[in-house]
Amino acid sequence: MNLRARVFEALGTVYDPELDEPITTLGFVGSCVVDGDDVSVRLRLPTPQCAPNFAFLMAADAAAAVRTVSDGSVHVVLEDHYTGKEINAAINRGEGFSDAFPGETAGDLRALRMLFQRKALLARQSRLRSTATKLGELDGPDAERCRELRRALGIDASDDAPAFVTGDGDPVEASDVRFWRMASLTALSLETNGGMCRDLLKTRYGEVAA
Amino acid sequence: MYEKNGEKYFVLDSHLHFWDASPANWVPGAEEFAKGWIECFHAYQGLGPAETHWSIEHFQKYSVEDFEKDVFQDGHVDVAVFQSTYLKEWYTKGFNSIEQNAELLDRFPGKLILNGRWDPREGEAGLEQLRADHAKYGIQGVKLYTAEWYKGSRGWKLTDPEAVPFLDTCVELGIKNLHVHKGPTIWPLDKDAFDVSDIDHVATDYQDLNFIIEHVGLPRIEDFCFMATQERNVYAGLAVVIGGLMHARPKFFAKVMGELLFWVGEDKMLFGSDYAIWEPKWQVEGFVDWEMPDDSECADYPRLDANGKKKILGLNAAALYGVDVPEEFQAAGEPAAQEDAQLVEGPA
Repeated sequence: MNLRARVFEALGTVYDPELDEPITTLGFVGSCVVDGDDVSVRLRLPTPQCAPNFAFLMAADAAAAVRTVSDGSVHVVLEDHYTGKEINAAINRGEGFSDAFPGETAGDLRALRMLFQRKALLARQSRLRSTATKLGELDGPDAERCRELRRALGIDASDDAPAFVTGDGDPVEASDVRFWRMASLTALSLETNGGMCRDLLKTRYGEVAA
Repeated sequence: MYEKNGEKYFVLDSHLHFWDASPANWVPGAEEFAKGWIECFHAYQGLGPAETHWSIEHFQKYSVEDFEKDVFQDGHVDVAVFQSTYLKEWYTKGFNSIEQNAELLDRFPGKLILNGRWDPREGEAGLEQLRADHAKYGIQGVKLYTAEWYKGSRGWKLTDPEAVPFLDTCVELGIKNLHVHKGPTIWPLDKDAFDVSDIDHVATDYQDLNFIIEHVGLPRIEDFCFMATQERNVYAGLAVVIGGLMHARPKFFAKVMGELLFWVGEDKMLFGSDYAIWEPKWQVEGFVDWEMPDDSECADYPRLDANGKKKILGLNAAALYGVDVPEEFQAAGEPAAQEDAQLVEGPA
């Protein structure tokens, strides 16, 4: 596999934290240029006003992912964004979110990321709803993503662990109507937002996103 | 008004604008933000039917004649609520300030309801302005845009202590309809700007006020629904739901409507076109024609009949704003009348 393909594979592990979808399938990778060992990636979002915190996470995660496959210089640029100047400067200095917006943050983005990982877990589980009791009984892409999200949240992701859990890791009964209603509503919310993001990106850049 | 299949609909558009986003109104030095903002709105228009798309030049600034034709002549709208949005860091005279909007009142007597706005970061001067706007225009409502930039701050929350005197003043003056619009920035920036829990708190504390959550809290519809179901005085503003989804993503539209009907109910949902993002005509006509799909994914959702559509398109908002609606537009109260209507319409 050549470097460009490996870079793209690495970018495929970067998720929009709000939509729980890879930035590559959302069409957020505008261009990717490889010159020897040096990599330059341009990211683009559906609107210039997309939330700066999520935009920062995607740009920082993209830079970190590319660095795992390239020993050369890595340059990630978020283009056409109203806080792009601040975000790009911090990313390329290797700094955090609070450095990008001094005085405008109260902490780092860890709590925000975890909040949305919990939502994503809820949404994924709603698509997997079944009589399964052990996580090992579930398979397919949604189940794999559930395992990743559980590990990220510090929730047991072993085969013998409960198949379905709340965002805090508590087991969920198959008959818990309220949980499943909230889970499907969360899934709908994420899917609707993803659809709107795709439509806006297409309107903005005139290309059909994957 | 709009009439279809013998049903008459009184249309109260609870959310529209008369803006000036033309380059002449861009704040020097902030051109990229002013330009980016209106281009973003313009992209949203792209989610509507192709034949309703405008050029960016037309979209930046449209005339009173355009407004009259699109809203009152072609758009079936009987009464419309102007939501004043300032954004004065980007637009010199404001995006659509209360003064700009007020200029249209005399031209369309009885057809426009003017809402004001406030921003807790403006402190005492902001309170005085709110009182002055109320005295001058008799406003019954305000638009609150929590993501507005102000002197280095990129947003605010309804639970900020500075908001308390403004909420108290709304109660005192009888400014009872608060249209809350969440945007992408807020302080601190590491928090979720679209989080609606601040509305939950103030809705509980201020039972005399109504909180209309614009675009139903999108992109946090799950948090919105969960909150709205617990709060008597929280309403769903459908701007963006109808305009942004009904044409572009009909399947999502059906499911979002289904969830809203389940959690919020047809008595607390308000039509808003968000003009000039989208023209009201296709939204009103399409919504009246819309039916919950018969597929299994929508099987659990409540159905919406002509009576429910009458409430959403106008009657609910008319009640909030004290607008008298003639008897011929009222929803039929008797269940028997509903059955009759179904018999008349016959199978689809």
